[in-house]
Amino acid sequence: MLVLDRDSRVALMALAACALLLLGLIALAGESPLRVLAILIGDGFLTRAGLADALVRSIPLTLTGLGVALSFRAGVFNIGVDGQLLIGAALAMACAPILGPLPSALALPLLLLAGTLGGAIWGGIAGILKARFGANEIIATIMLNYIAIQMVSWLIRGPLQEPMGIFPRSEKLAASLRLPILFDGTRLSAGLIVAALACVAVWFLVARSRYGYALTVTGKNADAARYGGIQPAVIAFSVLCLSGALAGLAGIVEVSGLHGRLQEGFAGGIGITAIAVALLARLSPLWVPVAAFGFAGLYVGSDAIARLTAVPFPLVHVIEGTIVLAFLVLQIMPKAKDR
Amino acid sequence: MDLMLLTGLLASGVRFAMPLLFAALGETMGQKSGVLNVGLEGIMLVGAFLAVAFSVATGSPWGGLLAATLGGAAMGLLHGFFAVRLKVDQIVSGLALILLGLGLSGFGYRLVFAGHQTIRVPGFERLDLGPLSDLPVLGPLLFSHHLLAYVGIFMAVGLWWILTRTGLGLTIRAVGENPKAADSVGIDVDKVRMRCAAFGGAMAGIGGAYLSTAQLAGFVEDMVAGRGFIAIACVVFARWNPLGVLAVALIFGIADAGQIRLQPFFPQIPYQFFIILPYVLALVALAGSAKSASLPAALAQPYRKA
Repeated sequence: MLVLDRDSRVALMALAACALLLLGLIALAGESPLRVLAILIGDGFLTRAGLADALVRSIPLTLTGLGVALSFRAGVFNIGVDGQLLIGAALAMACAPILGPLPSALALPLLLLAGTLGGAIWGGIAGILKARFGANEIIATIMLNYIAIQMVSWLIRGPLQEPMGIFPRSEKLAASLRLPILFDGTRLSAGLIVAALACVAVWFLVARSRYGYALTVTGKNADAARYGGIQPAVIAFSVLCLSGALAGLAGIVEVSGLHGRLQEGFAGGIGITAIAVALLARLSPLWVPVAAFGFAGLYVGSDAIARLTAVPFPLVHVIEGTIVLAFLVLQIMPKAKDR
Repeated sequence: MDLMLLTGLLASGVRFAMPLLFAALGETMGQKSGVLNVGLEGIMLVGAFLAVAFSVATGSPWGGLLAATLGGAAMGLLHGFFAVRLKVDQIVSGLALILLGLGLSGFGYRLVFAGHQTIRVPGFERLDLGPLSDLPVLGPLLFSHHLLAYVGIFMAVGLWWILTRTGLGLTIRAVGENPKAADSVGIDVDKVRMRCAAFGGAMAGIGGAYLSTAQLAGFVEDMVAGRGFIAIACVVFARWNPLGVLAVALIFGIADAGQIRLQPFFPQIPYQFFIILPYVLALVALAGSAKSASLPAALAQPYRKA
């Protein structure tokens, strides 16, 4: 039988309190928790439409979750995924008119590359601030988020606005620059393949390369890393670039695969969910898509809950917060057994 | 720019500075004791929501303030429980607070206020000091703020005094600099840290309350808009000195008030470039001050008894 020490018991009680809080909130909205749970699981995972929608949403969550996992592994807290995603999408959209006339087989990869580059630049700014000036990356990346939101707001009302000039949004991407839809009747695009390839690439980087080793060592013990000839500042800068690159790729994949154009709030809330995704995957690249799919389903289900019941949508963030706390509690469990 | 305009700018700068000031003062005490809370944003959101909800319910902004303070303290304690008691990663625990705060405030707002188009929120009255408030320049600048603003300034001085001149301050600093030494002279490290974490949460709650019931009048989802993180930047830039925090918060407040007032003067410049000014300022401040010897040595490091 598993014997738990006092800390673990207290931790489990804290989790139980969080679960009670969730039930209390649902009761407060005057709904039965069972019905809400049934809708969450039923609509999020068990219907064909829900499943397809969850897959669609898991694409950006996988890409950004990979980026967050990479940076967290190195002990670098990239909270600015949203900004990197926006700047990636914006830079790619700025390049779109040049790429449009090219054959699709050439233009589409270049478009994705431009998005990746944009995200890397935005992440790299935080990277320079951290590596060169020692600025805390959490605050730096968040500030860059707000700056990116305003920059996109300006771009879609200014230089990148559709020629009609009525709505604050960009022109639609040319067909040659759209990621193809995988299955007719769904919105699932080839972005799914991009995300899968990214998983393999990041897994290889983490598990099989010297760089991945350097990341993990730096994250576990920066002093030991320095002793081993690894420069934590270089790691911090490079991992913020990489993490931003994945976020930027997610941004242009969202635009090219799903929305077709740049508009306001097209990817709101992905960044904060990406953190929960990466943590739930325990920062392991191969678990990221699984966690991303789980959270995507949670979002689809929460949409349905907000539509069908009196329970407001932001409950999903309370659930996410609870999951992050659960992750922390699980972390101390094995330690409790060691003692 | 004429004098009237400048006075107005500085006066609203003071108003804009207050949410940052309260949150940053609380964070200063937490960090001084070794507890890093990156979740101020979430706590401020909850504080802002509770303040509005309970101001409406009780008919008085003070009822709202009380609720926000208690709600903030509860979230601070939750963070303390994970960061201090369970000794898990303080940054991740803070991130959880952001999610919880975003969820709880948004949930509560939609539940309580959905469908109501306009709700009159009983806000804080400006202090009227009679002839003093009517003084030109000095009146609007110094003698016409909400009572809460004076409380904030008083707290900055008081906390500075506590930290640097009292035994309690020495205890807090010892716990944040060298918990082992503090432990060896009989200080209960975790208890001090828990209390500082709760205090920090309560102050962030007050900061949120100020935002929704004194600076603005009402709650909008995600209304804190990064101020929780700017507050942390204030702490770093002020080198963990409460008086410095007051000065830095005022700089940010004036920058924020200034960007709004500058917009009409430069219609040819897109307004978005003004909105980003406080955020850019925070980046510059961070870059200019990060490598500081004032950083509490045991910040974000849990203490385990040997």
